[in-house]
Parts: sequence; structure tokens; C-alpha cells
Amino acid sequence: MTGVTVVAAPNLSGKRFAFALAEDRVGHYPEFRDYFVQVFELDRIGLAAPGFVRAPSGLTYALVFIGRSGAPFPSGVEIHAVVDALEPIADEVLDTDLWSILSWMIEGVGPPWTLKDLEETGRLYRIPAVRPRSS
Amino acid sequence: MTQDIFELTPSIREKWPFAPRYARVNGWRMHYVDEGDGDPVLLLHGNPTWGFLYRDVIGPLVQSGRRIIVPDMIGFGLSEKPTREHAHTLDGHTANLVSLVRQLGLTRVTVVCHDWGGPTGLSFAMSNPDRVRALVVMSTWAWPRPPAEFHTRVFPWRLMHAPLVGPYLLGRHNALAGRGIYLSVVDRDKFRREAQSTYEAVLPDTETRLLTWVWPRWIPLDDSARAFDRFAWLEQELAKSRLPTLIIWGREDEVFDAATFASRFKQLLPHAEGPHLVTGRHFLQEDSGYEIAGLIRSFLDRLDQRGG
Repeated sequence: MTGVTVVAAPNLSGKRFAFALAEDRVGHYPEFRDYFVQVFELDRIGLAAPGFVRAPSGLTYALVFIGRSGAPFPSGVEIHAVVDALEPIADEVLDTDLWSILSWMIEGVGPPWTLKDLEETGRLYRIPAVRPRSS
Repeated sequence: MTQDIFELTPSIREKWPFAPRYARVNGWRMHYVDEGDGDPVLLLHGNPTWGFLYRDVIGPLVQSGRRIIVPDMIGFGLSEKPTREHAHTLDGHTANLVSLVRQLGLTRVTVVCHDWGGPTGLSFAMSNPDRVRALVVMSTWAWPRPPAEFHTRVFPWRLMHAPLVGPYLLGRHNALAGRGIYLSVVDRDKFRREAQSTYEAVLPDTETRLLTWVWPRWIPLDDSARAFDRFAWLEQELAKSRLPTLIIWGREDEVFDAATFASRFKQLLPHAEGPHLVTGRHFLQEDSGYEIAGLIRSFLDRLDQRGG
């Protein structure tokens, strides 16, 4: 369980999108693009609206999909935290939430991509958000 | 985005005392070092390093009577760092190098290449043979099939640069310039003490690290890969090359292992000298910079004696 769930569009009044992470080439491995298309019905919705997920911190994140001429849609994606308009976001919260969203993505994309390998990769590079290996 | 030499801390400048030079290449601002006089030697780095990788090689080669030119690849070191993935292509990086060499009017160039300095530097050499005198190859490749079994594995290689994971690990956390190089040297304590912070410092923010996850995505893993044809051409041209060549490899390199990679270069270029094995993993210059300088110097001295 990654603690990330797809949610409906939140009320954005008094909120802002806080940029967090960008991917220019979401189809580098096409199964990643396919996953987003399936989860957010992008074949139907296209550019009309972002997708939204709720992360373990309780914050909602917008996934803004990017189109590029000549490339299958989406070609890229940006992740933005939906935060109170004039409030900063705590970097540690953001980083942990992003790791959870990556874990949710990898779990959803499925084999050969596994959560276990993602966590091992995170441990190898000493990423603070990665949980210690359970004994 | 361009980082200036004057932003480097005194401790870095102590190890990197060379005068900064800049050229406009192929639309980008490129930083390079140009030291000494004589036949030019071009020292080419790869991902995620910069000219600093050759800090122990430059001095001895200058003292041997050569002109040493060390460009920072666009996207690394003190060169401009484009912030869009599509600004980076394999052919574009080769064109950057071609532009620099033509602007400097270099001929009789010895091309010394490492990592992505291989595909770019060797493509330059094969497309500009009239300017090139010799080749030196270190821990790189020049053929279209996956360079190593390591590059086909999900853990850790493909995951490290997977969509969104690459920008997070290598972008937000600078994993390749820090921990990545650290894991790929032999003397890790020395690296941490003397060099790690310098590699990290020139890639200070997420967007400056873009090329660290873009380059891995250019490694062909199958026939449909976007760089497949360029690598196929490169292999074909190298097989026809009679340029004097020196092969130097890290004895402890477990990614581009000598038994596979140095041997394949030797098959491709049977007239090459070597492979000479030195202490080193992938970033062998960190462990054996002076020894590498000595090998290159001896190789060039022999060429001079033969009138080559």
C-alpha cells in the first residue's frame, strides 16, 4: 500500500498549484504513459483537466499532463501540490509525498517494475523518504 | 543557465586553477580549458562529470609539450545547462564538439574520451578524420546493442532514470553526481574527501541536473531506440579506422567491464595499443589520473618518434 489514492478535483478556491516535479518524456518506457492514460482516462479527457491524487500527508497533488506535436499523448507530466495560496510547502512533506506518488505509479505500472526494486534503488542512493528495510 | 568559474569556492579553485574560456557552440555557451602549446589533446568527459575529472591529467600533458583542451559538455560543469529534455540529443552534443574544434581551428587532435565523451567524441572523430591524429578510449562504448547487461536491468539502472523517478532521484536528490560517482570509484574515502562536493556543487539545483537522467535514456536497449542508427554507423566507421588508438580501462570497472568492453574495442580496432589496466572503476580518472596521464604521454611520444 502506498497511501496514494486518486481523488476528484478539489475546490481550488484560495489554493495554488505548487510546482514539485516535471517529466518531459513520460513515454520513455511506454507502460508509464499507458498507466496514466488508463488511471485518468486521458483518451477521453485529454487536456481538459488535470488528474488529482491524495498523498499520505493529506495533501492533494495535481498531475498536469503535457502534449507534444507528433508524440503520443501525454508526452510529459508535471506534479503540483495543491496548497493554500499564500502558504509555503514543507520540503520534507513534499519529498515524502513525491516518493509515495512514485511508489503508487510503479505499483500501478506493474512488472517488471516493482515497489521492491524502487525501494532498493532509493536505499542505494540514500533517499531520505525511503523506509528502512523491514527486518 | 550558466555557472561561472568565479562562483566556485576557493577549495575547488585550488584543485582547478585553470583559466576559464567560453565559446558559443551550436547555439550554446560552452566552458572549456585551453592550456599549453603543441599538438592538441581533447579530453572529453561524460555523465555526470565535467572537466574536473581530468584535473590530474592536464598538468602532466601540458608539461610534456601538448595543448590540452577540456570542454565541459553542454549541460554539465560550467557550461550552459539547458532546462528542456529535448535540448539534448546525441547528434546535437557531437555537433557542439564539432563547433568548438572548428572555431579553435584544431588539427592533429588526439581525442581522449570517457563515458558519453566516447559516443560524442568518436562521432566527431569519424566525421572529421582530417582533423584527428589519434584516439584514446576509456570506459565507454561505440556500438548499438546494450552496452552492458547492467543497462538492461530494472534495478537499479532502468529504475534510476524511469519516468518521474529520474527527475526525482537524479534531479531533486542529485543521486548520480554524489552517490553515483562515489559508488563507481575504488578509493571512496579519497573521493569523498577531495572531489564529491565539487561534482555536486556544479549541479546545484534540480533543473541543472537534467542531463544526468537524459543521457541514460539515450542508451539503445533495442533496435527501435532513437540512437540505434547513430551507434551502428559509429561502429561501422570505427571498424574502418586506422587512427592510432590507445585503450585504457579500470581494472575494477564492473559496469563497463574490461573483459567485455576493452576487448571489444580491441576487436574493433585491432591495431590499438592496450588495453592498459589501471586502478579504477567507471570513473578511473579519480583513482589513476596521473597514471593515465603517463600512459597518454608515452603513447603520444611514441607517435611523435614515428613521425605520426
